[in-house]
Amino acid sequence: MRGLDGVVPVGAGGEPERSPLSRRSVLRGAVGAGAAGIAAATLAGGALPAAASTAAAGGPARGTATGRGEPVVVHVRDAAAGELEVFCGTTCTRVRDKELAARLVRASG
Amino acid sequence: MSSHREAPEISKDPVADSTDLYAFVSPDKPGTVTLIANYLPLEAPAGGPNFYEFGDDVLYEIHIDTHGHSQADITYQFRFATQLPNPDTFLYNTAPITSLTSPAWNRRQTYSVTRVDGRGRHVLGEGLICPPCNIGPLSTPDYAAALARPAVHRLSDGSRVFAGQRADGFYVDLGSIFDLLDLRPFQNLQVFAKALGLQAAPGVNALKFANVHSIALQVPVSRLTASGRPVIGAWTTASRRRVRILDDQGSGQVESGPFTQVSRLGNPLVNEVVIALGDKDRWNTQPPEHDKQFAHYVEHPEVAALLPVLYPGVFPNLAALDKARTPRADLVAILHTGIPKGIIDGFTNFTGPVQADLLRLNTAIPPASKPSIFGLLGGDLAGFPNGRRVFDDVVSIELRAIAGVTFKLIDPHYTVDPAAGQLTDGLTPADLGTPFLRRFPYLGVPYDGFHHPPS
Repeated sequence: MRGLDGVVPVGAGGEPERSPLSRRSVLRGAVGAGAAGIAAATLAGGALPAAASTAAAGGPARGTATGRGEPVVVHVRDAAAGELEVFCGTTCTRVRDKELAARLVRASG
Repeated sequence: MSSHREAPEISKDPVADSTDLYAFVSPDKPGTVTLIANYLPLEAPAGGPNFYEFGDDVLYEIHIDTHGHSQADITYQFRFATQLPNPDTFLYNTAPITSLTSPAWNRRQTYSVTRVDGRGRHVLGEGLICPPCNIGPLSTPDYAAALARPAVHRLSDGSRVFAGQRADGFYVDLGSIFDLLDLRPFQNLQVFAKALGLQAAPGVNALKFANVHSIALQVPVSRLTASGRPVIGAWTTASRRRVRILDDQGSGQVESGPFTQVSRLGNPLVNEVVIALGDKDRWNTQPPEHDKQFAHYVEHPEVAALLPVLYPGVFPNLAALDKARTPRADLVAILHTGIPKGIIDGFTNFTGPVQADLLRLNTAIPPASKPSIFGLLGGDLAGFPNGRRVFDDVVSIELRAIAGVTFKLIDPHYTVDPAAGQLTDGLTPADLGTPFLRRFPYLGVPYDGFHHPPS
């Protein structure tokens, strides 16, 4: 099943899947999470979004990044190719977005 | 060990480490099949104050292939939840635990059972309670009758389930096997032991007095088989969420993403002694339908090459077979496809050409009236490798098969080395510390921590 903008939800081994994330919602999640105190962000290159680092410096790294009470974790799998994995609930959504990947890597300092 | 600590990564994650899988037509209820998946290897009975339990963060599954394609047609999922009624004590219990509702029991687990099949997901039971660990005569008096037996639950589809601590029923002389395959009954023939003048000796059961955690199901045969296809293939897996973040700001840990498989078990001892170190971790993550990639290990098992070296002159025909690089089609049949019709009179557990490590059970074979612990090799069609019963001597069966006993089924002209049919680590169920039960869940009452290890 292929979603919007190259988003591919990855099955959850028999667990119920949630609806796929769109590129737009990923961006909202990344930005909104920073504003609210990002739930979690792991980046393969050790990158952490600027917003997340702000949250880490300013308080507990917890929050409701999606409004669903679920943390969102973004893994930059291949920064050059813009390959991201976005984890939320029991889903992993693969996103190809060079711009977002570059922003996240830049945010890692 | 059958699959206790069998791979580098999973050996560091005992809660998710599958140790044994059993599948057999229930001897006291022959219209049902019993499936048992054991986890948490080598539990020391006195290992408190935080006694053993299933992982709340682990997805435990037992899969059944009913159509011979080596994929799951039926999956039973088990999810656990831990309750801590009183966080203000370090004790597991503050008085004797006399029932499953005892207020003195301070850390308990419940679980759900979900069946996933072609018709969807079906929650068969929720809030099912596990028994406590067997602490000792003061803490868990009357363990079997008051705590273990009431923990056998009936599910909404008529199946029965038990999840909790049991005595490990696997018997094996680990000390000898991992000490250069120095099988004690034959160590007078082992090259290094012989040099030291060591004599033949009885085996030592390294798992005597060790407990495990069992997930046991007893399911009507009709619920596990497809019409006209009595052979099923079973395997168990444990999976963890792909992401875990240890939160240093006080919330413990964050988990996210889909579950990914970290442990797998079908036939005993396969990942333990057939798959090489460099592939063991990957093997644990793979679905059985992809097992052709590991077929070379089965066709040319390392143990078959080692036996003639470690026991010089004892296995000349096996040595010749190995030297000729003859693929062991017998082992491929036993472990990867099932045994086709026409090889053994009146028997087959063939599931098709797809190579997959499944525990294959022909449910049409009734329980044996006089079972042999050597299963099929002992002329008992109801025993391993036709499924696996709790008492089957899978160590000796696999040693003998690898040593060439079953190659004669493929090549009638092959002469089996006389020692091959005698190989054993010298143990029987009499070497267990407690007997098996005659009824579900069949594995023995767990050893209590007060008396074990014995003084």
